[in-house]
Amino acid sequence: MKKLKPFDLARDLLDHELVDVDEVPCGRVDDIELEHTSHGLAVAALLVGPGAWAQRLPALARIGARAVFGRGRVRVPIDEVTRIEDVVQLRSRAAQLGLGILDRRVGRWLARLPRS
Amino acid sequence: MKFAEIFLGILTAMGGFVEIGELTFTLNAGQQFAWSLLWVVPLGTIGIMVYCEMAGRIAAVRSRPVFALVRERAGFDSALLTLIASLAVNLLTCAAEIGGVALLLHLVLGSPYRLLILATFAMLLLVVWFVSFKWIERIFGLGGLLLIVFLVAAVYLGPDWSKVAQGLLPDANARETVLDFFYAVALLSSIMLPYETYFYASGGIEDEWKPSDVGLNRLVVFVGFALGGLLAASLVGVGTEYFGPRQIEPQSPGAAALGAAHAFGETGLLLALGGMFFAFGGAAIETSLSSAYNLAQFAGWPWGKHLPRRHAGRFTLSWIATFALATLVALSGVNPVTIVEYSIVFSVVILPFTYFPVLAVASDRNIMGDHANGWLANALGWFYLVLITAAGIAALPLLVLTQGGRG
Repeated sequence: MKKLKPFDLARDLLDHELVDVDEVPCGRVDDIELEHTSHGLAVAALLVGPGAWAQRLPALARIGARAVFGRGRVRVPIDEVTRIEDVVQLRSRAAQLGLGILDRRVGRWLARLPRS
Repeated sequence: MKFAEIFLGILTAMGGFVEIGELTFTLNAGQQFAWSLLWVVPLGTIGIMVYCEMAGRIAAVRSRPVFALVRERAGFDSALLTLIASLAVNLLTCAAEIGGVALLLHLVLGSPYRLLILATFAMLLLVVWFVSFKWIERIFGLGGLLLIVFLVAAVYLGPDWSKVAQGLLPDANARETVLDFFYAVALLSSIMLPYETYFYASGGIEDEWKPSDVGLNRLVVFVGFALGGLLAASLVGVGTEYFGPRQIEPQSPGAAALGAAHAFGETGLLLALGGMFFAFGGAAIETSLSSAYNLAQFAGWPWGKHLPRRHAGRFTLSWIATFALATLVALSGVNPVTIVEYSIVFSVVILPFTYFPVLAVASDRNIMGDHANGWLANALGWFYLVLITAAGIAALPLLVLTQGGRG
């Protein structure tokens, strides 16, 4: 039986870029949600946004980050993931998952300007 | 590979090599220490070659920009700190470049300095908005080649070539002062400014480099940067031969142009001012785009000058904000040369955090396959990582001890 290469969550998944079905970047894996299953611990979802990454900071920096960036976070169920390589590919569009909202908002505003 | 593409790449790399910090420190190093610190120029030039080649190779083989690697490899806390520090250093450098362009325009046009800062801001904004990435590189890179007038002036001034040769190696018998060390560290940092690596690798991805472009990357870096290093060395020469004997400190871009004017009169002056205009303007654009690249790559936003602005909203807003904030810093009235002195010293502190992830990925055969570092790239990579770490640790104490290089 072929031995599977070990998958290191911290190295191979955490902090990697998310791209949606159209290959549009839509955030990074800021945190990982784990759950207990009959086979042991398993990844349940990927967490994106300041509410997820601020928790990884030291206490004082965490308070500052939350004050500036808020606590918003998006939960992407692991079923959404179709491929994990350099980037993590998702099966839906960013908008359907609630990712990249600010980019689209700024983009709509910029679209009013010439050559945009 | 197309010959014209290589040729243009080399020329733009050479023309874009020097910016206001490097110009200031090379001329001042020559003025204060004659040829004795010349060895720092090839040392720094080889260092920036080694790391830009690696970063460019990673961009060509895996389409991975520098800050994506920093985030994935350095750990979140250090990556965030590196991001914040790089944004601060880019902002200060951009402010110094904008101030430098405004000073040059003030010399030529005589209009009020602050008004010209605003005009420079508007010009840069319009250029980045309307001109494509490739043409920005070409216009400012090729325009920067006018600085070759300093290379010709350095030869014209008739240096003692035996002293030039002696300067290529550190003098083991010299009694170095703290000021010597400060200038050596600052000169090294001014040549190895971190934004150059960020911009170079992101630019490779903007230009859609593929694994077949690894050779192009190598040629552009090795030949283009070597010629750029020669230009930097010639500025040490002008500092030594023109400013040294006259005891003039070239503390402004206008004063720097005097070296070329002395050799070639009005033509020399205009060529030097023109070259500095394109070199500083190009560096201002590169630092503002670098900030936007770093932020977008760190956070996973869509990025790239090639994307329609409406599809890269936060990236676009980031480079506009960098220009705007840098303009405010320049408007505060602080001398651009003072700003650049600080930005250069702080730059060397963040270099190890930028370079380590690049070295880790470039040497990883699982990621880079046959394009992974060979023994020479690894040996040079580690040598420079240790060197810049030591320089980074020494930089701030040296800045304090020498009161910002004033002795």
